[in-house]
Amino acid sequence: MVIGVVRLHPVQPVQLTEISPISVPAGFPSPAQDYYDGGIDLNKHLIADTTCTFIVRVSGDSMSDAGISDGDELIVDRSLEPTDGCVVVAILDGELTIKRLKLGPNGVVLKAENRDYPDITVAELSDLSVWGVVTRCLHYV
Amino acid sequence: MRHPSAADTSRRKPSRIALVDANSFYVSCERVFDPSLAGVPTVVLSNNDGCVVARSNEAKALGIPMGEPWFKLAARAKEWGLVQRSSNYELYGDLSARFMELLGRHTNALEVYSVDEAFLGLNGEPEELVTEGQQIRRTVLRNTGLPVCVGIAPTKTLAKFANRIAKQNPAMNGVCNLDTMPPAHVDHIMSRVPVTGIWGIAGRLGKRLNSMGIFTIADLKASDPVVMRKKFSVLMQRTILELNGIPCIEIELEREDKKQMIFSRSFSTPVTTIAEMHQVLSIYAQSAAARLAKGEQLAKVMNVFAGTSHFHQSASSFPSVTVKLPAPTADPVILTKAAVGALDGVLMEGVPYARAGVILTDLSPAGYQPQFDEFVSVHEHRNIGDLLGKVKGKYGTASIGLGRAGMLAPPDWTMSRKHSSPRYTTEWAELPVVKAS
Repeated sequence: MVIGVVRLHPVQPVQLTEISPISVPAGFPSPAQDYYDGGIDLNKHLIADTTCTFIVRVSGDSMSDAGISDGDELIVDRSLEPTDGCVVVAILDGELTIKRLKLGPNGVVLKAENRDYPDITVAELSDLSVWGVVTRCLHYV
Repeated sequence: MRHPSAADTSRRKPSRIALVDANSFYVSCERVFDPSLAGVPTVVLSNNDGCVVARSNEAKALGIPMGEPWFKLAARAKEWGLVQRSSNYELYGDLSARFMELLGRHTNALEVYSVDEAFLGLNGEPEELVTEGQQIRRTVLRNTGLPVCVGIAPTKTLAKFANRIAKQNPAMNGVCNLDTMPPAHVDHIMSRVPVTGIWGIAGRLGKRLNSMGIFTIADLKASDPVVMRKKFSVLMQRTILELNGIPCIEIELEREDKKQMIFSRSFSTPVTTIAEMHQVLSIYAQSAAARLAKGEQLAKVMNVFAGTSHFHQSASSFPSVTVKLPAPTADPVILTKAAVGALDGVLMEGVPYARAGVILTDLSPAGYQPQFDEFVSVHEHRNIGDLLGKVKGKYGTASIGLGRAGMLAPPDWTMSRKHSSPRYTTEWAELPVVKAS
């Protein structure tokens, strides 16, 4: 028996809790209250289109020179056109892999951002399966 | 029957209906996050890893039938290279919602028909609609990773049929608009497809039709709708008219009214006992209570409904009862009692219910309601709704529930899933991993 868990609105993966400066101990209303218009919603600022956006987690250090470390979370927008220089999640050998995309006269290069890892060259962009374009890195500091 | 003029259709009613559905939806969802499954024969199993509920094309090619119990396949799985997955409903639900949201960008008449298919009202010239169909296909594939097919026709029944043609003819690139095909060609296909291949004609009904000499879709299309209505039902008449291009089954728009809240699903296997229905309704009521609390709203009126399949010819039952709640409330105890109690004596034991739902209407913001003490429910007073929410937040949605929704033994429509993929899109701890190595 299936009771589907169809959500009509996609799950929003990142959420900051709003804390409203409502009251002060003395019982006077906060002077900020009239100006308070809700807290900062990370979804609004970090995600352009929630329907097309996914969060993934990085495993490995081949992108460390780009500031992307092992264990970081990435925001990936599938609706974006992959262009020269952007960081993409690509399908390589049946795995989701993160690389920097370089489109040049000699073909398409998937660059690692760590000299210990080799670049991968493909003849055409169409030979490559781009899963999505990385827009942000949530890096632990 | 209304034949709207061209001017009329462009402004009000969409002139054509598209049926968009995802290919092998559950398997496709698995493949979005696990590309190693591409080209690999894959099946998704029902609850408790019982039977095959979805098959990749490769699994179909192996001759694995739908509904095959896993224990019959397990021995040969290795030899075939067959991969099995437990149903991952969180993942499928999330991708389904994204899929439907994208479809909604192409039309203002969208009917979500099931988890993986929807009817869309479209307007345009035949060739334009093919282009639109291709665009829908590209958008959904790129933004969600799901491959879909599009069937376009003047009626829902024909749109389903066109979708089937699109699926079976790779040269069509996933889109079939019946209007762009030579009528003789369409008739030819209809004369070769068994009558059970059409939407709404189940196997049992097919046998009865066969005994009357109606074997193919073309036979049914040519039959007399009035005579057939007398022999069968109005449903049969509608199917015949729809096959002839006369729209009889309208697109049912989802009511996106903020003033109401709907919790409703179709079941893949019918629910036949009252006890199980009570459990389903309890869970809906508590989900509704949680959503009310989240949106800081109170409900005044509840409608509870259930229904058998529209195509189930015997034993049809569509109970629907509306109750006025004692006071505007978001109290899960009151809502659960109301949901279960509303259909008391109306539900019939043994009837195969295919769907059920709870609709809350007359919503108002919590706090703006002048509440006299005696009308504040005792449960609200003790903040039971709040407490339930907190426990669920901490220990998961299944950790606690009221009444039958809280029974520890899982009802058989919740699942044990040994071979489940991670809940990639709904659980922070289970995000998909991308390799940087």
